[in-house]
Amino acid sequence: MTSRPATAAELAGMIRDAHDRRTRLRVIARGTWQGCTAAVAPDAAVLDVSGLSGIIEYVPGDLTLTARAGTTVAEVDAATSAHGQWCPLLPWGGDEGTLGATFATATHGPCSVSLGAPRDLAIGMEFVDGTGALIRAGGRVVKNVAGFDLTRLLVGSWGTLGVITELSVRLRARPTVDETWSVAIEAGGGARARLEEFRRGPLAPLAMMEFEGRTLVRLGGNAAFVAASREIVKTLGAADPCDTRIWMRLRQRDPKPRGPLASSALGDPLSTRVKKQFDPRHILNPGIMGEAYA
Amino acid sequence: MTDLPTELSDIVGARHVLQRATELLVYENDALPGYHKRPRLAVFPGTRDEVIAVVRALHRARVAFVPRGAGTGLSGGALADDVVLIGLQRMRRIISVDPAGRSAVVEPGVVNSSLTKAATPFGLHYAPDPSSQSACTIGGNVAENAGGPHCLKYGVTLNHVLAASVVLPGGDVVRLVRPGEDRTGYDLLGAYVGSEGCFGVTLDVTVRLTPNPEGIRTMLADFTSVDDAARAASAIVAAGILPAALELMDHGTIEAVESSIYAAGYPRDAAAVLLIEVDGALAGLDDDVSAVQRICRECGAREIRTASDAGERARLWQGRKKAFGAMGRVAPHLAVQDAVVPRTKLAPILARIAEIGARQRIHVCNVFHAGDGNLHPNVPYNGDDPDEAARVHAAMREIMELCIAEGGTITGEHGVGLDKIGYMERLFPGESLDAMCRLRDAFDPERRANPGKVVPSHRCREWLAAPGAHT
Repeated sequence: MTSRPATAAELAGMIRDAHDRRTRLRVIARGTWQGCTAAVAPDAAVLDVSGLSGIIEYVPGDLTLTARAGTTVAEVDAATSAHGQWCPLLPWGGDEGTLGATFATATHGPCSVSLGAPRDLAIGMEFVDGTGALIRAGGRVVKNVAGFDLTRLLVGSWGTLGVITELSVRLRARPTVDETWSVAIEAGGGARARLEEFRRGPLAPLAMMEFEGRTLVRLGGNAAFVAASREIVKTLGAADPCDTRIWMRLRQRDPKPRGPLASSALGDPLSTRVKKQFDPRHILNPGIMGEAYA
Repeated sequence: MTDLPTELSDIVGARHVLQRATELLVYENDALPGYHKRPRLAVFPGTRDEVIAVVRALHRARVAFVPRGAGTGLSGGALADDVVLIGLQRMRRIISVDPAGRSAVVEPGVVNSSLTKAATPFGLHYAPDPSSQSACTIGGNVAENAGGPHCLKYGVTLNHVLAASVVLPGGDVVRLVRPGEDRTGYDLLGAYVGSEGCFGVTLDVTVRLTPNPEGIRTMLADFTSVDDAARAASAIVAAGILPAALELMDHGTIEAVESSIYAAGYPRDAAAVLLIEVDGALAGLDDDVSAVQRICRECGAREIRTASDAGERARLWQGRKKAFGAMGRVAPHLAVQDAVVPRTKLAPILARIAEIGARQRIHVCNVFHAGDGNLHPNVPYNGDDPDEAARVHAAMREIMELCIAEGGTITGEHGVGLDKIGYMERLFPGESLDAMCRLRDAFDPERRANPGKVVPSHRCREWLAAPGAHT
């Protein structure tokens, strides 16, 4: 059975109902992360969030954006790139997944180290917990310490504490210059050490990744910054310019996110208490963390 | 069974337990003027084991407590109203500094600027820099998710804490770690940072250290109208430049600073100044400087000064960092606000704040993090004058309502504490406040840590059902 609510209120009603009837739910949207939810109880009813879609507010000058959880990363990317901005998630798996799933799974990407992981980019959200309560957390401004941080709690909780219905994210200006080099790092002469120094230094690249025996380096910044970075890259070995779209191909073929392992995620007493507070009947994605469910 | 003071004295030594009213006097306030609360007693553990033993003793006695660092907070978060105050200022060891890993492990009582001092020989620093950094502690910074001018580029405390060991109010010790790419589990560290002492007591914190920038350019742009300065600040951010800091000070603040010992050479006839710092790699830095200068001029800047050396830079910053202190000269009391608004609305909101100030006949001094839209409309006043105090409080309420209505929030870095708890119901619906209570209950089921702060307790659905232990 699949339910596909069109509004957050409708979704809250469905979860309240599931809570009352003790119906287990498997939360999905575009199905991008389906492989990771294999461990969810097979008898769970499907709750499809993809109907909650669309950008709610985007003021380019504020560098913030609020969208419904079922909005795809690609839609956000299209809207923001029209203003020379991006939400620099660039998650593994590509841009076809939803914003909600990307944050619920805290999926990183090749630029997370330089531009921020999901927990650093979320500034607020709306979600429905396992009792059907519709909850607002954080806000739409970039700095906010009002109240306990439910936003951080929900990011990366894999839908086990609540179903995200809306997200507000921090944006950044796209770098003026954004280019990628494929480098055959020299075997000797201290090239590896220089690469490490470069990665940690003031001219650090946006992303760096080993690929087919070469090292892909993505440089971003203003023209003078990138020119200086480029000079360093050329000292590391034979460097060839490379289409920046290669990063999308790499993201799409990478099997990440791997999904929560059969870990102790819910094993420690504190996490167990948190879980009980937000999903007392254990109906949200039961089993996804590898935990037992009755 | 021994009484609590004796039991605590046995743990930390009698001289580290204060009970007499005269001794407790100094702990009746934090840095938020206008509030006084007398702790029942104060205890000062000196080691990790002592902190744990103190918390466990309080747990056995079912007694509530408030953890406190340096007491520099601006929301009344460290005030203890007839409960036990746990002072952590003796916990000031820097346990280790790892230059290669760019991190450090510190006890909660380590002073923010001491940590940077310890990192300096390695070309590193601790990035969050609240204005009280020469006194405030890392434990307090973690509790408040403290910010500071340089958080615009580098992020707030949350972004710089890698792990923490915490003793929960029930006596269990937990290790909270920042989730990485391959680590699953709830981000309990993220929930803990900014929990304002309501979730437990920090035993140690692992922080990220940031490499010192290759180059720093500090500019002071002066404007003949606040509106122009605010528009310039919004325009710089909108242009995609990410300054390390972007601060606005208005005429009232400039006057207060220039009349004090912290005089920084700000132009006294300016309506507002922007203190702008860009930093990073030397390559490309001057292009950012030119862009900032061009935008300031386009928005009507009269003059833009660039600090020529470290001394001038420090002087420009001193005025900003000591601005709150400088206001102490103007009047005996100071009302401090911390609202955040969308950056594009800075100019109209500042105009509305000026209107409110004029109507209530109060003196609003703005000094704030313009780059984040984090306002600090501060009002020096005489609290002994009941009429003036009433007008100040009315104006503060109006300003807060305005910021909420414009899509902002009530606090960007100071915390809710006691001071802003009354606004929480304006900002969040009941179900959200209840959810916050439930998160707190997971950490502190008996609600003994920092009672009466952050979320109004009547908003907790099961408040009456919970074991009442708020003695």
